[in-house]
Parts: sequence; structure tokens; C-alpha cells
Amino acid sequence: MKAINDFVAQFNASLPLDKSRVVRNRNRYYMLPKKLKQQIPKGFFYAGAYLGAVKGSSFFPSFLLLSMIAEHKANKLVVDKKTAWLFICGRDIFKQGILTEHNLKKGDYALILNEHNECLGFGKIVHSIHEEEDVKQVAVKNILDIGDFLRREKRQSRQQQGSRRLQDSDRKPRQTSRK
Amino acid sequence: MSGKEFFVNRYKELGWSYRQVKLKQAIRINAMNCSRDNVVKRLESLGISLEKIPFLKDGYWIRKSRFSVGATAEYLLGLYSIQEAAAQIPVTLFTELEDKTVLDACSSPGGKTVQLADLMKNNGLIVALELKQRKMFALVNHLERCRVTNAAVYNMDAKEATKLNMKFDKVLLDVPCSGNPITDRDWFSKRTIEDVHRNARRQRQILTEAAKVTEDGGEIIYATCSLEPEENELNIDWAVANLPVKVEGISCPGEKGLTNVFGKQLDCSIEKCRRIWPEQSQGFFVCKLRKQAVQQ
Repeated sequence: MKAINDFVAQFNASLPLDKSRVVRNRNRYYMLPKKLKQQIPKGFFYAGAYLGAVKGSSFFPSFLLLSMIAEHKANKLVVDKKTAWLFICGRDIFKQGILTEHNLKKGDYALILNEHNECLGFGKIVHSIHEEEDVKQVAVKNILDIGDFLRREKRQSRQQQGSRRLQDSDRKPRQTSRK
Repeated sequence: MSGKEFFVNRYKELGWSYRQVKLKQAIRINAMNCSRDNVVKRLESLGISLEKIPFLKDGYWIRKSRFSVGATAEYLLGLYSIQEAAAQIPVTLFTELEDKTVLDACSSPGGKTVQLADLMKNNGLIVALELKQRKMFALVNHLERCRVTNAAVYNMDAKEATKLNMKFDKVLLDVPCSGNPITDRDWFSKRTIEDVHRNARRQRQILTEAAKVTEDGGEIIYATCSLEPEENELNIDWAVANLPVKVEGISCPGEKGLTNVFGKQLDCSIEKCRRIWPEQSQGFFVCKLRKQAVQQ
């Protein structure tokens, strides 16, 4: 729970999460609605609202958690359509693509929203947005964006292909030795 | 017994002349995350031309798109899912899903699990089972992307659903099947009638388990994308004779279920099932079963 609260605090925000409904399963945190909490048997792989995972000392948030934070008062910046698309593609944000923000300063973490106020991910302010600097300079470094859903699929299918190849190569010598 | 000629002759005997059909890609709007009109407008502004699927409330065919509809911000935000038109039908056949306890017995890749959550307005409870570990990640990614919060996923065989010690108001059986030659070009060279029989046996085991975990009076939707009667009408005929279930009428596209399969006469209630031969969508079979109270 501390990992989640610390992460949320980075956006100058706080989330009214009901502690009794947050469940840790291996390294992953979930928030379970009342009915799920009461009824589901043990041993689930995934349940309710996935909040994020702890790996070592780092917390990796889910997009659901980012959307939940975005519904409250927090560090946010809204970007234009083109910038939103480039951000989803994994790119950083230039000052010229920022439509609105509220007194964010260098070093702050901010949620990145599109023109529809939908959360696309988050980034870190690396250059002051207010100072007169080159508009073509990177203002926000991309840390996590929803394009990750596509990248995950590619990663996972590569891992599966890799493990299948390993299994195949395990099989081959055995077949030879039988001969 | 296998090969194109063998299967094509079977289809002919069942009343369908085999021909390759070009499938139109379809999407389903996740109404719990956005308004339908808004998503349609946004997609059209991107240059994606949509055509409403007449028999589905939230379904649209992609008429034209210069890029993959699986790579838009709207898709990544979970505003819609890519789901074949016929595959969108089974979940819509349940009545009163909200706040119910639902089992999705063979859930990966999660298209129908998300559709269930959507129709349940993210309330109630969905227990989603998937046997294959490698398919679990695609399933949970799908749930996270579409912001489903009322599901619990288990790495479990549907044939062992009683181990959950739960009873369900609704059970979705989108069972593993032999598939069909419309969605898989190599289908005729890969499949034999023995595969079909093996799948049919497994489906009967899943049906048996599903009947045990369904509340009396509860609904079971059974669906396959197979064209083979062994996995469809013959299985339901077997279920009606051996399990405490009855077939109920449904309102959806498709022909009546076959009541005479290769000379074998089936229970007359089987005609309440729906068989969708490939045309506007892939081939599909769907039916609704109602669990009957067992006399002690």
C-alpha cells in the first residue's frame, strides 16, 4: 500500500483508496469491489482493478491507476492531438505541443492527458515549461504511455517464441541420441 | 477421414455450398467507457469508415481504414475492441446481466469477457477461466486496457470449474473448437474428423461441468466457431438427453439448428439453436440452455 501512496504522491495527489479492499497477490496490487472481495476463491491470477506491480524497489503503475489519479487534483498537462499521438508512440513532449498545465516545474512528474481529458500515461518535466526557452526542446520525458499495451504484446509473443525455440532445441538432441 | 473434399461434401449434405468468404473486420464499442456516438465520430475523424452491424447494438464493420484499427489512441484507451461480428452475438443472448455472477469458462483472449463486463456495467462478478498459461497475459492485458474491474481470472481448466465451489447465474461456454476454414486458410490440411470428435468429447465434459456450477434456472450460452455438427447440434442433443438443461429460443441471425444430421434424428428443441453459415461473418453456432432444477 505504501508503494501505491508514494507513487500517487509524486503527482501532488492523494487517492482515497479503501485499504480493506486492496489486495496484494505476489508482486501485484488489486483493488477488489465488495462483491469480488466477498465471493472470489483464493488463487486468482488477476482480479478487480489492477493497480500496479512492485519490482525491486520500483512501483510500476497500471493505466487504470493513472486514470484514477487523473480524476482527482494532480499534476497534469494536456497536449494537442499530434503530440498525444507521438507520446503514445513512445516519444517525449516538446513545449509547443502542450495546451494547458498548472505551474509545473522542472523535476515534477505529471500525467499526460489528451484533448478529451483521457490519461495517456505520465512523464517527468525535464525543462521548465514557463521559461523562455527553445520551444523545440524536450519539456517532458516520456516514462510510460498506453502504447505499452502494443509493446507488451510484442514482447510477450517474442518471449513465447523464444521459449518454444528453447523447447525445440531441447527436443532435438534427445531425438538424435535415440538414433 | 480428412481433406477438403471430405469436409466440403459434409457441408453440402448439411445444406451449405462451400465458398471462401472475405471477412469484414469488426469492432465493438465498449459503452461502459464512452458514448457510442462519440467514438464513432472520433474514428471517422481519423479517416476510418464504419458501417453499423444491423443485428448488434455496439458492433460496426470497418468499411475502410488506411491503418490498423488496433493502433489508435481510442483502441489503446479501451473505447472499443476488435471482435468478429458473429463472435459478438453469444454474450448479447443473456438476459439481465447486471449484478449477476457470471462464469466465462474458456475466456482467452478476453473479447467476450470484456463484452460481459460492458453489458454488466462493470458491476456484479465475472469469473474467467483459462487453461493455457501463455494465453493469460493477452487476457489480462485486454481487461486492463478496457478497464474491466469486475472480473477475477483463474488459470484453470473449465472441466474443473466445480473446484471453485461457486454457483453461477449465467455461464458462457465459448468452448475450444476445431475452428472453420473461413478464418484459417490451412484448415483443410490441418484438420481430421478425429480432431473434431476429440474436441466434441472435450466440449461434452465442459458442458457437464457447466451444468453442475449453474444455479437452477440459470442460463448457459454455448457457442463455437466450428461448422461441424459433432461440436454443435450433436453435442446439444446429447446435453438435452443427459444433463438437466433445456434449449431455449433465441433471437439472433442464422438458420435453425439442424435436427437431422447425416440421417440421425435429433431432439426437436435443437432447432431453437442458431447455425450461422459463413457469409457476412465467419461460421458460428450458438444456443441458450436453461438449467432445470434437479429432483432430489
